[in-house]
Amino acid sequence: MERWTRREDERLLTGKGRYVADIHVPGCLDAAFVRSKVAHGSLRSVDCAAARDVPGVVGAWSAADLPDLPPVPYTLLARLSTEEAVAGREWPALVKDRVRYPGEALAVVLGEDRYRAEDGAAEVTAVVDPLPAVVTPSAALDDSVRLFDGLSNTALRGEAGAPIDPAVWQDAAAVVEATYRQQLLMPSPMECRTILAVPEGDRLTVWSGHQMPHRLRRELAALLGWSADRIRVVVPDTGGAFGSKSAAFPEFVVVAYLAVTLGRPVRWIEDRLESMLVATRGRGQDQTVRLAADAEGRLLAYELTINADVGAYPHLGVGLPMQTAWMAPGAYTTPHVHATLRSVLTNTMVTYPYRGAGRPEAAIAIERTMDLLARRLGVDPIELRRRNFIPPDAFPYDTPTGRRYDSGNYAAALDLALETVGYTEWRAEQARRRSDPDALPLGIGVSCYVERSGGEPGGLHEFGSLEVHEDGTVTARCGAAPSGQGHETVFPALVAKTLGIPEAQVRLVEGDTDEQPEGLGSFASRSAQVDGAMFQQTAGLLIEQARERAARLWDLPVDKVAWADGSVHTTSGDSAVLGLAELVKATGPLRVESRYEAGMAFPFGAHVAVTEVDPDLGTVNVLRLVAVDDCGVVLNPTVVHGQAYGSAVQGIGQALYEGMTFDADGVPHLASGFLDYLLPTYTEIPPIEIKDTCTPSPSTPLGAKGAGESGCIGTPAAIVNAVADALRIADPDLLQMPLTPDSVWRAARAPKHEEGVR
Amino acid sequence: MKPASFDYAVPRTVAEAVQALGDTDRTAQVLAGGQSLILEMHLQRIRPQLVVDINRIPELDGMRVDGDELRVGALVRHATFESADAVPGPLGTLLSRAVVNIAHPPIRSRGTMAGSFGWAHPASEWCAIGVALDATVEVTGPDGARSIPARDYFLGPYRTARRPQELITAVRLPLLGENTGVGFIEHRRTHFCFAQVAVAAALTVTDGVISDARIGLVNSADRPLRARAAEQALIGADFAPLPEGPRLPDDHPFARAGRAAAQEDAAPLAEPYADVEYKRQAIAVLVGRTLTEAATDLRSRLAPRQGGPR
Repeated sequence: MERWTRREDERLLTGKGRYVADIHVPGCLDAAFVRSKVAHGSLRSVDCAAARDVPGVVGAWSAADLPDLPPVPYTLLARLSTEEAVAGREWPALVKDRVRYPGEALAVVLGEDRYRAEDGAAEVTAVVDPLPAVVTPSAALDDSVRLFDGLSNTALRGEAGAPIDPAVWQDAAAVVEATYRQQLLMPSPMECRTILAVPEGDRLTVWSGHQMPHRLRRELAALLGWSADRIRVVVPDTGGAFGSKSAAFPEFVVVAYLAVTLGRPVRWIEDRLESMLVATRGRGQDQTVRLAADAEGRLLAYELTINADVGAYPHLGVGLPMQTAWMAPGAYTTPHVHATLRSVLTNTMVTYPYRGAGRPEAAIAIERTMDLLARRLGVDPIELRRRNFIPPDAFPYDTPTGRRYDSGNYAAALDLALETVGYTEWRAEQARRRSDPDALPLGIGVSCYVERSGGEPGGLHEFGSLEVHEDGTVTARCGAAPSGQGHETVFPALVAKTLGIPEAQVRLVEGDTDEQPEGLGSFASRSAQVDGAMFQQTAGLLIEQARERAARLWDLPVDKVAWADGSVHTTSGDSAVLGLAELVKATGPLRVESRYEAGMAFPFGAHVAVTEVDPDLGTVNVLRLVAVDDCGVVLNPTVVHGQAYGSAVQGIGQALYEGMTFDADGVPHLASGFLDYLLPTYTEIPPIEIKDTCTPSPSTPLGAKGAGESGCIGTPAAIVNAVADALRIADPDLLQMPLTPDSVWRAARAPKHEEGVR
Repeated sequence: MKPASFDYAVPRTVAEAVQALGDTDRTAQVLAGGQSLILEMHLQRIRPQLVVDINRIPELDGMRVDGDELRVGALVRHATFESADAVPGPLGTLLSRAVVNIAHPPIRSRGTMAGSFGWAHPASEWCAIGVALDATVEVTGPDGARSIPARDYFLGPYRTARRPQELITAVRLPLLGENTGVGFIEHRRTHFCFAQVAVAAALTVTDGVISDARIGLVNSADRPLRARAAEQALIGADFAPLPEGPRLPDDHPFARAGRAAAQEDAAPLAEPYADVEYKRQAIAVLVGRTLTEAATDLRSRLAPRQGGPR
């Protein structure tokens, strides 16, 4: 095991991982879906007859063939959405009469394998009368094209903070305004979505690469009209999720329903082309901002207005922009902050959490605007931030938007980031280049973010247990479900350390609802923060029980029995010592169940990017990226830094590469997969340095905050700010992510800020 | 992402391959490296009824110098050209500078130059070099073998003068003399994707004057393009010193050639993230830079012989 950084690595890195598609169940049928080629239209008819004649096809069905097929379950999880938003806007698992996003499933074909199923799907014909499509919130907002007849496209209105007195803007020494597009992104896990449903007697076992197995069990039980104990959800090895694998998707509903109806195993292994069309999208906000400061650069007021792209149905994503509104103030003491939002339905696949989930949109908006204000005031952007940081002694800090930040030392993170990158030296290099007409422009951008981890109230708890076996080994169980985060390494180490036993003696079991009856899952960077604290507490409970048992065994008061290094002993100094194995042998099975509720935590950090721009071609070259993150107490630096690195790369993706364009009919240009939707590859990754500061969270005794979403939240604005700094761009609206060469070339030709007047 | 069902033939000779392709009852595709064909079949944008796999035809493998030409057999993989020494003279340098822009190493170990000519993607590096250098495409069909000059070969995106029953057996490229300098520069959003624009250039200097210029434009029209107006702007010009800094003054011959290529030669098509205006800008910039690279290459080539400073 010393050869591997993490326990799971030997399996995952040598091809021994077992993913859903690797699970062989005799007689299993593969599902292929017939997908709409139009973004919006009225479905006239679907004809599956020819598909049923294809050799190897077992069946083909449209919605008309399956009148009892349940709809997709809505999620009001964590009050992010409302009953009003979903009322009258049912999401059918197969299109009934209206196509609302490109790729929406019109029919399903089951075949003996995926090849046969696809051959069958190719024979299904459908008649769809196209309707005008709206693919941006601004296009959908006026309701001239409605996705649901008689209902507005605006599914939710929300706000955080109080409206700002107009006098504040009038009296301010400086007011800056800008418009930002937070483009739609694709989570792009290596493994696309998967489900394998196996009926066994009166039960159904569902294998799925999933972040929330207990929620999937609950939702499938509800839609089948079953009690939850008849369904077992198992999450095997999962190749990434990034927030995109926590729902019962339309295809999951169809697969579970058909497996139960036919009494046969059925699976759906989403391929990349399907994923391009119908995987959940992240981000998708049109923002306008206004920020005011006095002559000394003290922030006075901040206003953020969001038109959010929710996609075709009001699922979880409809409430996601509230996260942006709540986190709008960022790291600053701005006395007045007001964020308003409209969640608008569009003819795109639904918007959903994607690594960062609402917080990148908030951080990018405020951090870009801080740089804009600094240019307006003629002060260094670092200095402007320092003047306005929430000071370390002000925590817990209540923001005007209703958040209570738990702890922070924002200046310390920024100091470390600047020292690491060599800020002074880069500024000198920038000055040198500005006096050299042949030098490429160089820019330095910072982004100081605050985010929220753990979840929202009502979803901050987790369940788990520790069980000691007769051989002294310990099985740890919890409701988390990893998709690559290293739980098998981190949690056993934490339990072992708390109990004082060797790590190898602890084994983790998770992602199986028969093993762990209740659980929430892995999302919102919560596993270390919440499950970690739960295990620490549970280990403490285990120690207490062990002491009580030993006290009874030895007929001593409990306070005469102590715990050290995995054993109970008496405090009197005699030789009585019992290890865990002996204790269980002497007193019977020992299992401690636990439910632990954490508080929200607010990780933070400072990211600095140095970029060089080729103004003639518009290419951006990131010369250096430094990410200083503070996620409180770090359980395993290798795991946390690895996640920070990957997250920073995804942040670079949003800043420079990832995005989708649409044709005139609202269909995204994604038909060639990753040739159309560009992820940063190895060649594009700049030198990245990851460091951290440690400000423990007071919300749990463990003190861990969420890690792993930092780069998606902190990195994009650092890069955009660096490009704006290099080009001295006066109009911030010219730089919209992704900063593609054509857009940067155009921005480079625009008036510079010295000359520009707004 | 599964291909539709297809028949599969594995001929052992060119004659057998031509016979297989001659079956007009079935739409056929030739499989060499599969770089594009396999993807397109998975996407079902191509649904051949017959795939003719030519990988076991020994006579199609191998590359040789034949007179003043390089003959590249249909099974010669991209990776062959990664070393500048694989091909004599400046042509080897040009091909080695271009090849690293084709996909990535695993694909370069399978994909073939002849396959690129067969597929005729407007963003193909090889095809633009082919039209710039007056390459020849050798094909064999039911009526025997014929040679098609590159200038007559490309008819549009994925459209060529090759008839469906003909097999490309080789591509011939003229060797370049030692008084020729070469350059190749590609511009794309990430290393993974197709070129937004790329430029191949070969500059020949005789007695201090540019006596020949060859400029190939990648993804600057619906087919690979030779920038003849830009070439004409250069021929006869003094092989002048390069500017001190990295930027060309507007009145430098290379900058003028760049503008000519962008405005007169290119017929760019808009793509997501690259409209026509941006593509013309990128063509002008890249032509100037590639000519600079070619000039630098030529100076370094001449310097050892002259024994003077570079």
